[in-house]
Amino acid sequence: MILHMFKEIISYRQMLISIVRRDLRSRYKGSFLGFLWTFINPLLQLIVYSIVFPYLLRMNQENYPMFLFVALLPWIFFVTSVQSATTSIVGGANLVKKIYFPRVILPLSVVCTNLMNYIYGLVIVFSALLLTGVHLTLNVLWLPVVLLTLFLFALGLALNLSALYVRFRDLEHIVGVVTFVWFYVTPIVFPITIFPQKMADIIGYNPMVPIINSFRNILLYGKQPEWGALMYSLVVGIILLTIGTWVFRKSEKTFAEDL
Amino acid sequence: MSEQTVISIKNVSKAFKIYRDKPLTIKEKFLKLRSNEYSNFYALNDVSLDIKKGETVGLIGHNGCGKSTLLKLITKILYPDSGEIEVNGRISSLIELGAGFHPDFTGRENIYINASIFGLSRKEIDGKVDEIIRFSELGDFIENPVRTYSSGMYMRLAFSVAINVNPEILLIDEILSVGDANFQKKCYDKIEGFKNNGATIVIVAHDLGTLEKICDRVIWMNAGKIVEQGDADRVIDLYTQHMNKKFVEQTQKEYINGTMKQASGDENPQIAAPKQSELEFSEDIRWGSKEVEIIEARIINRNGESTNAISAGEPVTIEIDYKVNKPQKEYIFGVGFYTSERVLIYGNNTEIGKLKLRSIQPRGTVKFQIDECNLLSGHYKLNVAVVDGDHRALDFIKYYMDFSVVSNDKAVGVLSIKHHWEVD
Repeated sequence: MILHMFKEIISYRQMLISIVRRDLRSRYKGSFLGFLWTFINPLLQLIVYSIVFPYLLRMNQENYPMFLFVALLPWIFFVTSVQSATTSIVGGANLVKKIYFPRVILPLSVVCTNLMNYIYGLVIVFSALLLTGVHLTLNVLWLPVVLLTLFLFALGLALNLSALYVRFRDLEHIVGVVTFVWFYVTPIVFPITIFPQKMADIIGYNPMVPIINSFRNILLYGKQPEWGALMYSLVVGIILLTIGTWVFRKSEKTFAEDL
Repeated sequence: MSEQTVISIKNVSKAFKIYRDKPLTIKEKFLKLRSNEYSNFYALNDVSLDIKKGETVGLIGHNGCGKSTLLKLITKILYPDSGEIEVNGRISSLIELGAGFHPDFTGRENIYINASIFGLSRKEIDGKVDEIIRFSELGDFIENPVRTYSSGMYMRLAFSVAINVNPEILLIDEILSVGDANFQKKCYDKIEGFKNNGATIVIVAHDLGTLEKICDRVIWMNAGKIVEQGDADRVIDLYTQHMNKKFVEQTQKEYINGTMKQASGDENPQIAAPKQSELEFSEDIRWGSKEVEIIEARIINRNGESTNAISAGEPVTIEIDYKVNKPQKEYIFGVGFYTSERVLIYGNNTEIGKLKLRSIQPRGTVKFQIDECNLLSGHYKLNVAVVDGDHRALDFIKYYMDFSVVSNDKAVGVLSIKHHWEVD
């Protein structure tokens, strides 16, 4: 079943590429600065967060802007992927009702588009890291592995949610609320150490924790990811992906009628 | 030879749930704010069909008969509830044009997006892009954003992509009305080209003439079932006859409803008050001394019902109810048919019929009986009149009512003529 899905995606890869390219380019099409916005947006966020949060939270986190930034960009990738993938099938109703193609291309292309956006954002990340005097080590090379873990996790959720959203339109709002809470139980704007130990243990089950920590480890601290913890996230991601594939396959046949 | 069958449909049924009020949110589902009741509508009911390689098959039937559902099942947009569909070969469907077009991108960029949705690889598109642009006749506009296109240009571009995908199986749904006559001709030539290259074509259209020309086989569907299939001209003939009959029945129903409404309206004194004389015509349509008055005229069909639609070849009677206000020395009653452009086709009266009417009942009905109506399909006007012996108009209603005729005779003009062709 998964193999068949995979084969179809391969044969429709040009569609995936075209749609990702279209979405990336159309986002800023017609704006004066155009593609530069891809860089300006995270840059502005970086500036605002690094002014506001230390002031609000009164922490003495060393190099706080980068502490935040290195974690914030993967989070943005994750959250926008999941949120816009949820509505992707319904948003593509026009295509789904009129033409055949592997439906999975729709949520997949959303996650890929956001992945590309993250990768473009890395230009800012690396220049900012170098500017603030962070010592980069060879452990940076683990980045693709960490990114892949995050990608699979996001895709797993995306498949489930996009298929279910066709029938349950509440999901859009539920996803909004859940990701809002999720943001604060993931150590993004603050280190996990601000929680009491008991709570931190529970929060540790959040698969995003090892992923975000890994981003900090390899980019900011020059360390290897904590493999055990990251493996846990990867396994959760693969399980979600498997369930997602199953749910998607099961419901995609009626997409054209349910829309 | 089963390997030649490219589309095999076996006992396929497809029902749509018609929800009275579908719950869309969890709240609604749990609180039962909307009922989850639904009834099944069978769009396809146990249909079996084999389409062979190289065949051109047309699907006909009135709206909702399941022909579009069948196309969607073949492309896998929909899946059957039961039965099996097997398709061998690459399908291109001209069902949706311009899928994924983005208004801000140029025509050329959109070709790549659109063609990729049809499942083409970049290499394949690269090879076809020039042909697509040439076919679309867009010229330099191809480098402009699609939002600047006229709707005609947009459709031409979309059509060019779809038709240049070079499919093994081409599905066409009601879209051959794109562009001007020239462009349409090009499209048909292209389709003809596919045919000659051995492509299989399934086409849904309402334009029966076109279907008859290009299809090897026509399938007539009704209420989710295949009614008849076979040679294009035979099935289309049967279908036309059926549709004609239905049209007459339908018009008849509406006509009766219409006259009933009028009748019940007359009972209401407030509405009926200004309408004392039930026949109201302007002076250039009705004239005469009214010494003899036409109260009502009717067209009576084979079943003895008053109607305004006639099937050609059946007996018809025109009835005229009259009232004598002041007796005359002689009366002549007449009827006539006009085309909708008000050209007289046929006229006859009692004098021509060698019927001298010197004294008649003060009230009565004159009948003009036609054994076989041989007007061709079209809209006509009925003329009824009564004049005196000197042809002075007593009551002359030039266009009493409109009526339509449907005929299975495909000849053009207004009249069927018995004939046969011979070539020596």
